[in-house]
Amino acid sequence: MRPQPWRGLGWLAARECLRVTKLWTQTMLAPVVGSILFILVFGLSLGSRIKQIEGFPYQEFIVPGLIAMAMAQAAYSNNSSSIFQARSDRYIDDVLAAPMRPWQMNLGLAVGGAYRALVIGAALLVLAIPLTGVPVEHPLALAAAALLVVTLFGALGVVVGIYAETFDHHTFINNIVILPLTFVGGVFYSVTILPAPWYELSHANPLFYMVNALRFGFLGTSDANAGLCFAVTAVIALAVVAWSQYLFVTGHRLKP
Amino acid sequence: MATAGLPPALSIKGLAKRYDDGTVAVERLDLEIPAGEFFGLLGPNGAGKTTLINAVCNLIRVTEGEILVFGHQATSLEARSLVGLAEQDPNLDRFLTVREALIYHGGYYGMTRGRSIERAERMIDVFDLRAKTNTRAPKLSGGMRRRLLLARALLHEPRLVILDEPTAGVDIELRRELWRYIRRLHREGTTILLTTHYLEEAEALCEDVALITGGRIVARSDPEGLKRQFGARSLEDVYLKAVGREAEPEVLTR
Repeated sequence: MRPQPWRGLGWLAARECLRVTKLWTQTMLAPVVGSILFILVFGLSLGSRIKQIEGFPYQEFIVPGLIAMAMAQAAYSNNSSSIFQARSDRYIDDVLAAPMRPWQMNLGLAVGGAYRALVIGAALLVLAIPLTGVPVEHPLALAAAALLVVTLFGALGVVVGIYAETFDHHTFINNIVILPLTFVGGVFYSVTILPAPWYELSHANPLFYMVNALRFGFLGTSDANAGLCFAVTAVIALAVVAWSQYLFVTGHRLKP
Repeated sequence: MATAGLPPALSIKGLAKRYDDGTVAVERLDLEIPAGEFFGLLGPNGAGKTTLINAVCNLIRVTEGEILVFGHQATSLEARSLVGLAEQDPNLDRFLTVREALIYHGGYYGMTRGRSIERAERMIDVFDLRAKTNTRAPKLSGGMRRRLLLARALLHEPRLVILDEPTAGVDIELRRELWRYIRRLHREGTTILLTTHYLEEAEALCEDVALITGGRIVARSDPEGLKRQFGARSLEDVYLKAVGREAEPEVLTR
């Protein structure tokens, strides 16, 4: 039988998506419910007491950041936990021994996170539009921003899944790095209202650019230049993808 | 049943593996297994058997040496598609059912959906897994897991099958059943590399046996040749002499 690595890639990607689908209440329903609760509680309940931000009602303003946060967490958590479990139980050997190229293994394992994040993003979009009336000013920019988010955090999940020695390591990165940085990246507020030095410090937060790239797609406005937001997110995504690829090419941490 | 004219199923030259903690598991190891042979690799725990197997299957980073599988570099896609591995510890995907585990494995090895399903159904029958088709791996008994592991290793019809202690912890009935199937595979031309701690298993199945200890091959011949070479009455005596241990037959033969 001649090697058919593309077919292997397809099956590996399908396996990752199957895992997400089998665990749908945990992988998709829970994050969608959580984000919708944020929109209902912060947007619709408290939003009426907050004046407009950047010319948008508060419940509309927070939607892009909440979707960015949900997608980033889903892409990251999915891949880090899937790869950690595969390493821990050693069934990743079935993939590592298979006739696939390193980039095909890397991509195949990362697809599950992208699938999960995009389904969650689409579900939140469909629910948030009638609930809040949030517009989609630049659909192509929104799609590009969503792809960058899932690429960046999907690859980060792969990297952490490979390095993690216990399950706590992957939750640590989520709870101590991703979640706080997303919160202070302007999910619930515009950084323009912050005094110095917090305004300047916000620009050092890489997730600030991710939130604002998505916000530009939705609202047509952002706290920083939209091109800069896309460029910074793309450069970070590229760097993390290169890191994950390095691990598959060299076998570092994957193979003793 | 070595097949003349074909490149060796496995050719290893100067293999060395030093782990990150400094442990040298295998050192300057040379080994050639002709195509079509039933080859046994015996040695105590920590001798380097699994390291050697993992090197062939690209599951470790080799420190030094060259490994060819039917003339292809072991890291190449061609070589990978020719090897089937049943690892020592059942490492089954916890999210997949028996049927899915087999079908997806075929997919990873480049099979079409139709062919993979066909082979999965065949393996399910051969290894008597029909009653557990829709059961996920963690819910299988130890014997069933072992069957699934072997079915998975053979699903993509590899020309070199590596069985790392395939009968460890299985009952005598299944053990005999597996022997029958492995013998049949061998008769059909598949090269088998078997590691086992059951010396009578190696004696009954293998045409050629190598003894490995301290990461080096210390003896190699057919079972009768080894007995002559070591002036021993059984493979067990050969084993004890070759690995330089005092006789502990009840431990070694389990």
